[in-house]
Amino acid sequence: MSRKALPRWGGRLTTCLTIAGLGLVLLPYFWMLSSSLKTGSEVFDLPIKWLPEAAQWGNYPDALSRGKFPTYFFNSAVVAFAVMTGNLIFCSMAGYGLSKFRFPCREACFRLILSTMMLPLEIILVPTFLVARQFGLVNNYGGLIVPLAVDAFGIFLMRQYIKDLPDSLIEAARLDGCSEFGIFWRIILPNCKPALGALALLTFRDNWDQFLWPLIVASKDVLKTFPLGLAQMEGIDSAAYHEIMAAAVVGMIPTALVFLLFQRAFVRGIALSGLKE
Amino acid sequence: MAESYAPAAKVRPKAGFDDRLPLGAARGERLSLRARLRWAGFLFVLPALLHLLTFKFYPMIEAARLSFFRYDLLTPPVFNGLQNYKAVWENPLFHQSFWVSAKYMFGVSLPEWFLALGLALLLNRQMPGQSLIRLAYFLPIAMSQIVVAMVWKFMYNPLGLVNTLLGFVGVGRINWLSTEETALPALIAIGVWRGIPLFGVIYLAGLQSIPKEYYEAATIDGAGPWQRFVHVTIPLLLPTILFVMVMSLLSAVKVFLNPLVMTEGGPNGTTRVLPYFIYETGFAYYRMGEAAAASMVLFAFVFGLTLIQLRLLRQGGVE
Repeated sequence: MSRKALPRWGGRLTTCLTIAGLGLVLLPYFWMLSSSLKTGSEVFDLPIKWLPEAAQWGNYPDALSRGKFPTYFFNSAVVAFAVMTGNLIFCSMAGYGLSKFRFPCREACFRLILSTMMLPLEIILVPTFLVARQFGLVNNYGGLIVPLAVDAFGIFLMRQYIKDLPDSLIEAARLDGCSEFGIFWRIILPNCKPALGALALLTFRDNWDQFLWPLIVASKDVLKTFPLGLAQMEGIDSAAYHEIMAAAVVGMIPTALVFLLFQRAFVRGIALSGLKE
Repeated sequence: MAESYAPAAKVRPKAGFDDRLPLGAARGERLSLRARLRWAGFLFVLPALLHLLTFKFYPMIEAARLSFFRYDLLTPPVFNGLQNYKAVWENPLFHQSFWVSAKYMFGVSLPEWFLALGLALLLNRQMPGQSLIRLAYFLPIAMSQIVVAMVWKFMYNPLGLVNTLLGFVGVGRINWLSTEETALPALIAIGVWRGIPLFGVIYLAGLQSIPKEYYEAATIDGAGPWQRFVHVTIPLLLPTILFVMVMSLLSAVKVFLNPLVMTEGGPNGTTRVLPYFIYETGFAYYRMGEAAAASMVLFAFVFGLTLIQLRLLRQGGVE
C-alpha cells in the first residue's frame, strides 16, 4: 500500500465505524417503533421480522386506554413545566446575585450552594420525604414540584454565563433609574437567552423523566407521572410488549421533539453541564 | 422639607428591600448605594438559598441525626446510638449491595471513558453529512430513562432481540435478567450504551476547544497522527478527561431506576445497588434509621468523588 492510499483507507474505516456505531445506538429505538406497530404475537416471531406485516395503529389507543395515561402525561407535563419555570427564575436570580453584586459571605453562599450537588435525592431520600411530609407536600402537586424547584447546577450554569455579561449594561440601566429587579428582568434575562435555553431544556428532560421522587411522594394514581404509569403498565401485563412499546413511543415524543427543535442549545447545555446525567 | 425627609431616612436601612426606589433618591450618598446593592445582591440569592437549605441541607442533617434513631414512620423515633450502623454493618445484604454498586460503577465507567473518547474523535473529523450524523448520535441523550429501561427489558426477553441477534453468531438463548451471572452485566451494558453519547458530547466540546494551530505546528515538526494524538490531544484534553472520569462514576453510583423496574434488585440481590438497598430498607421495611445509616455510607462515597470533581472544575478553567 502506498503512503497516499493509507489515509484514504483510514478514512473509509472510520466512516464504516461511524455508521456501525450509529446502528448500535439507534437500533433499540428502531426496534421500539417497529414493535409498537406489530400484533401481540408478531413481536416475538421467528425468524425475526424487522417490520410489521401490517402497521397496527390501533396499538396506540389500546395502550393509552390501559391505566390513566392522559392523566399521567398531564402530570408529567405539569411537573416538567413547573419545575422548569422555578429553575429558570430562581437559578437566574441567584446566578445574577452571585456574579454581579458584592455582599458579605458571597463566596460562602456560592460554596454552600455548590455543595448541594453532593446531595442527590438518592442519598437524602428518607429525610427529604420526612421534610416534605412536615410541609404537607405529600400526595399533591406541590409535593411533586416544590422540592425540585431549585437545583444548584442551574445556579452554577447561570452564574458562569452572567459573570461574562458586561457591567456597563447594568450600570447604564441603573443610572437611568431602573429598579434592581427591573435591571434583572429587562436587562439580564434577555441577555442570557442561550444559557436560559440550555437550562430550560435540561430541566425539562430531567423532570419529564422524574421517577424516584414521584414514586415516594405520590401514591395516588391520579398523581402518577408518565414514567410511573409506564412501569406500572409493564408490571401488570408484561406480555403486552406491542402496547408497552406504543406507550413508550408516545412518552418519548416530548423530549425528542424538544431536542430536535433546540438541539444546539441542548448539546451546548450538556457540554456545559457539570454533574448532570 | 425636613418632614418629608424624615420617613425616607427611616426607610433607608431597609432600602435594599424596596428595589423600586429610584437611584436618584440615593444619589450623592455612595455608601447608601453600596449598602443597597449589597442587600439587593443578597436578596437575589435568598430564595434559592432558602430552598436549598430546606430541601437539601436540612434533610442531610436529618439523615445524620436519624441514623442514630430507630424510626418506622408510625411511632416516634427512639435513640439507639450506633445500633443502626451495627445492624447495617452486620447485614450481609448491605455488603452485597456495596459490592454490586462498586462493580456497576466501574463496569459502566471504564468502558465509557474510552468508548466516548473514541466516539468524539470519530465525530470530530470532517465527513459528509457531519451535522446529521452528530444529531443522530446525540438524539439518545434526550430519551427518557424509563423508555430506555422498557425497550431493553423487551430486548433482553428470552425471546427478544438480543438473543435473536446473538443466535446469528451461534450463542444459545439466555434469560439475561433472571440469571445471576448475566443480570448485572446486562444492566451495565445499558449504562454504557446510554453514557457514550452523553460523554461523547463533552469530549467533543473539549476537542473543539483545542486550537488548530497546535496541530499545524506539530505537523510541521513532522509528527504523525499518533504522535499528534499523544502529544497534543491528550495533554490539552486532560481536564476534560478527568472531569468525565469522575462524572461517569458519580452518575453510575446513583443508578436506581433500571434495577428497580428491570430486575427488582434480583436475582438473589445480584443487582441490588446501594440506592436500591436504601429505598428498600426505608420504604419497604420502614427501617428509616437503618436506611439513613446506609445513606451516610453512600454519602461518604459521593462526597469524596465530588470533592475531586470540584477541584477539577476549577483547574479546568471553568472557575
